[in-house]
Amino acid sequence: MTVVYLLIPAFLLLASVFGLPLLRYAWLSFHADSVLTGLQPIANDGANWLRLMHDQRYWQDLIQTLRFAFASVGFELLLGLAIALLLHQPMRKRGLIRSAALIPWALPTTVMALGWRWIFNTPYGPIDQFTSLSGISLNILGNPSFAWIALVYADVWKTTPFVALILLAGLQSIPNDLYEACTLEGASSFTCFRKITLPLLKPYLGLAMTFRLAQAFGVFDLVQVMTGGGPASSTESLALYAYWNALRFLDFGYSATIMIASFVLLSTIVAFGWWLMILLNQRGSMAVTE
Amino acid sequence: MTLELQSVGRQINAKWIVHDLSFSVKQDECLVLVGPSGCGKSSTLRLIAGLDRCQQGTIKFGNRDVTHLPPSERAVGMVFQSYALLPHLTVYENLELGLRIRGVRIEERSRRIQHILDLVQLADRANHRPSALSGGQRQRVALARALLRNAMVYLLDEPMSNLDAQLREQIRPELRRLILDQGKPTVYVTHDQNEALAMANKIAIINNGEIVQLDTPIHLYNNPNSLFVAQFLGRPQINCLKPRDHQIQAIRPEDLKFSESGLPCRLVSREWLGNTQLLYLESAEGGLRMVAEPSFQCPERLFVTWQQSKVFRFDAKTGLRTS
Amino acid sequence: MFRWRKKLSVGLTIGLSLVLSLVLIPTLTAQEIEPVTILMPAPFADSTRDLVKDFNQKYEKSIHLDVIRGPLETEAISDLAISSLLLGDTPFDALLMDITWLPKYARAGWLEALDNGFDESDINDLTNGAQLGNNYQGVLYRWPLVADIGLLFWRTDLMEKPPSTPDELVAVSRNLQNNKKVPWGYVWQGRQYEGLSCVYLEMIDGFGGNWFNPDRGTFGLDQKPGVNAAQWLTDLIQEGISPEAVTNYAESETLQSFKSGDSAFMRNWPYAWAELQKEDSRVRGKVGISTMVAAPGASPASTVGSWGFSLLKGSKHKEAVIEAFKFLTSKESQLKMFEEYGYTPTLKSIYEDPIMLEKYPYIIELYKALKVGRMRPETPVYAQLSDVLQRNLSESLTQELTAKISMKNATSTSEQIMLAAGGLMK
Repeated sequence: MTVVYLLIPAFLLLASVFGLPLLRYAWLSFHADSVLTGLQPIANDGANWLRLMHDQRYWQDLIQTLRFAFASVGFELLLGLAIALLLHQPMRKRGLIRSAALIPWALPTTVMALGWRWIFNTPYGPIDQFTSLSGISLNILGNPSFAWIALVYADVWKTTPFVALILLAGLQSIPNDLYEACTLEGASSFTCFRKITLPLLKPYLGLAMTFRLAQAFGVFDLVQVMTGGGPASSTESLALYAYWNALRFLDFGYSATIMIASFVLLSTIVAFGWWLMILLNQRGSMAVTE
Repeated sequence: MTLELQSVGRQINAKWIVHDLSFSVKQDECLVLVGPSGCGKSSTLRLIAGLDRCQQGTIKFGNRDVTHLPPSERAVGMVFQSYALLPHLTVYENLELGLRIRGVRIEERSRRIQHILDLVQLADRANHRPSALSGGQRQRVALARALLRNAMVYLLDEPMSNLDAQLREQIRPELRRLILDQGKPTVYVTHDQNEALAMANKIAIINNGEIVQLDTPIHLYNNPNSLFVAQFLGRPQINCLKPRDHQIQAIRPEDLKFSESGLPCRLVSREWLGNTQLLYLESAEGGLRMVAEPSFQCPERLFVTWQQSKVFRFDAKTGLRTS
Repeated sequence: MFRWRKKLSVGLTIGLSLVLSLVLIPTLTAQEIEPVTILMPAPFADSTRDLVKDFNQKYEKSIHLDVIRGPLETEAISDLAISSLLLGDTPFDALLMDITWLPKYARAGWLEALDNGFDESDINDLTNGAQLGNNYQGVLYRWPLVADIGLLFWRTDLMEKPPSTPDELVAVSRNLQNNKKVPWGYVWQGRQYEGLSCVYLEMIDGFGGNWFNPDRGTFGLDQKPGVNAAQWLTDLIQEGISPEAVTNYAESETLQSFKSGDSAFMRNWPYAWAELQKEDSRVRGKVGISTMVAAPGASPASTVGSWGFSLLKGSKHKEAVIEAFKFLTSKESQLKMFEEYGYTPTLKSIYEDPIMLEKYPYIIELYKALKVGRMRPETPVYAQLSDVLQRNLSESLTQELTAKISMKNATSTSEQIMLAAGGLMK
């Protein structure tokens, strides 16, 4: 029983940091609270939610955000796995190389986004300089069909090291004996990878996926700096839309509605991720036999 | 078929961890490699399996030189200290994996796994994951997997060190039977001298990457070629008397006898072990260990004596036997 | 997603520490000295440093002026200011504001009227462009520090005189491009952001229309001039006068292109003049400025974008703050800022000074442009209106939709926003 009491301060802290603002936003989402109401909340009978239902922009942003999140997380997992496998190999100066691989992740997002904006710049960025050698100018950031791909590219560049780090931890948790036993059975290294590495890495893949999906779903600074949501709003994310409503339009009621709706969606995705992880965990137990 | 190592060696960072090692193991033979930890015994095993590369010497399975073959082509059955079972697969799947890899047909797989499961008495555990098994059961799964390999050579790397003492004693005869029944050269690594004595046809005592002495257990016990071997085998440990003329005399605890005269000793402490008791004595020759009848009431002061023929003599500098 | 909440908490932390220091400073310094604090974007905080020093020397006995160096980006300053204003007790007395924020801030009730500090004659001293955007519903809420105005930059080495109509601009560009003098004709801000609204405003007015008519409360985006403006900008890209990539160009990308000698024309703000005269500029000494092109019969228009001081409600040092405003915007200060940092002066007298004209002949063009300065819609919901325009115009520029349809969509959405705001206007 005393244990429960000891947890109270931690619980209160969590509740005040996460719970109270959420409750406040949920409450605000049922009120008009904007520059037009003199920044006073006035109950509006769910008008915000009705507006959200019919707000094509919200649903477009939702689709764009999901597209961005799944594409970047997908690539990050594939690439992160490859990098983790590479970093797991014994090599000279392994510690140094591992630290170096983390540099992109350590860079502030706005700084690296600004960098990428110039790298993708047409015609002065290196990418365009390169492609224009073969007479092609891609104009990636200025094209509504491609701009989001540039964002995915930049996000993959920045956060793959994070995924690789988690997966590397996973790889290191797999005892070498398992591979040796597998080799002795006559297996190729690909068979060992398929029969040992992948199944035992599943929980870590799930963890990385959940973390990254949650982050990618809330993408903000990257979009803000690289494209500002354009061109033709093709890269606007939910976070950007909520931010615009709050701080540019001073429409806090609707901004709160967007945030609560997005929070519910995000929680669903994360819950789904965890459920998937638990499911996979039952198959590939994280604990390895003694 | 004979397993043969000729001048095998491997070095890491310019230090030989296995050096100039030669021995041969005939079929039906179990050679136990024993020595303190870090002596190179496990490394030797990994060289035979092909998990590490030899930088020196040759390894032969019969007439076949396997020195440069990858592990998958050597056909060795190995039991790891950790058992190395895949946690996400059932016992059956764990056993099946190797057979599948080697392209054994499904009916044949099933038949052989059933057979081996019966042999190691785990038929009722086939659909359990390793995490649901006891340590002894896991060990038997690992053994079963090695046996399924149809190996030329069996290698066991401290297969019982994760088991409690009681279980070890239970499993020892079973393990010995299962392994020796295969009629293949077997190399068994342990750091436990009791296990070594129990399992071995021959024992190689290894220190600093080299064989100190290789012989049958009885011969090793009765004829240690060095102080290291004498001290390594036999519990309680052999007694060393004060060095004289650059010579160390050593005598086993069970060869010390009580008498009316002889070396005066004082009882320091005693351990009652049920079927015997171990006495710790102090004398002018230094501390002595002695084995006595369990019912013996040891006086505070006593005299011990021994037959000169039971005394081993070693050079104080080199530790080698002089007589 | 909770980014702005984070900003709020950052604001709260900064705010609290500032409040604390405000409480502490008066007890530490002599009682009669009034502390005045102004929040400015970093570039302005840096360029006014000497003036602030002068001010504090002059008012040594009565006022101490403190400038808080805010973030670099315009919008980041707004976020910071709003975050602390929302908390109620602001840690600053005044704020250096962009021209588009004023109606929103005034409507939110965060600003104090300046009518007591400045009178009709003060206002008449300002150039036309600088007079704009300081009032909300007839009340003066802002006093300009620097004027800013949209300009057409042109290459004196490639043509005798700048074009005056859109067609002329296209013809000159095409000719130069065909003769391989320049890869591009005209570069401008086509990225989906505030700059695009400024570009469009100049064109819709240049085609004889209106973005927003405050008297009637109507939008002119889908009228002929509005569609023409959108079509003209879209065609620039389609016909290769402007690079396709202008759809993600902001000021810096535009400047890069013009500075490298790759374009014959550029739409930008006066700050670019100094940049183009720097060592690394390939067009140094070959640049002229002019007002934006306009269709025959329509008068040219330049988007006004000035920065000015506003007094925040709740300041306890109103008189002292106005003293500071007056000092920082005085003719001496204006001259200093112009000569040292190239900031566009607000006072007529500077542009009419023969010595100045001789020293800096190009300010004639600045003055002309300031005379035809135009305001973006002055309403508290401007940010929404601009956002709608940017989204739809960007769809036209990237050929997702035709100019006509995109401007129709922009109009109807703008009308909905206005309707929701209760027809709220000037």
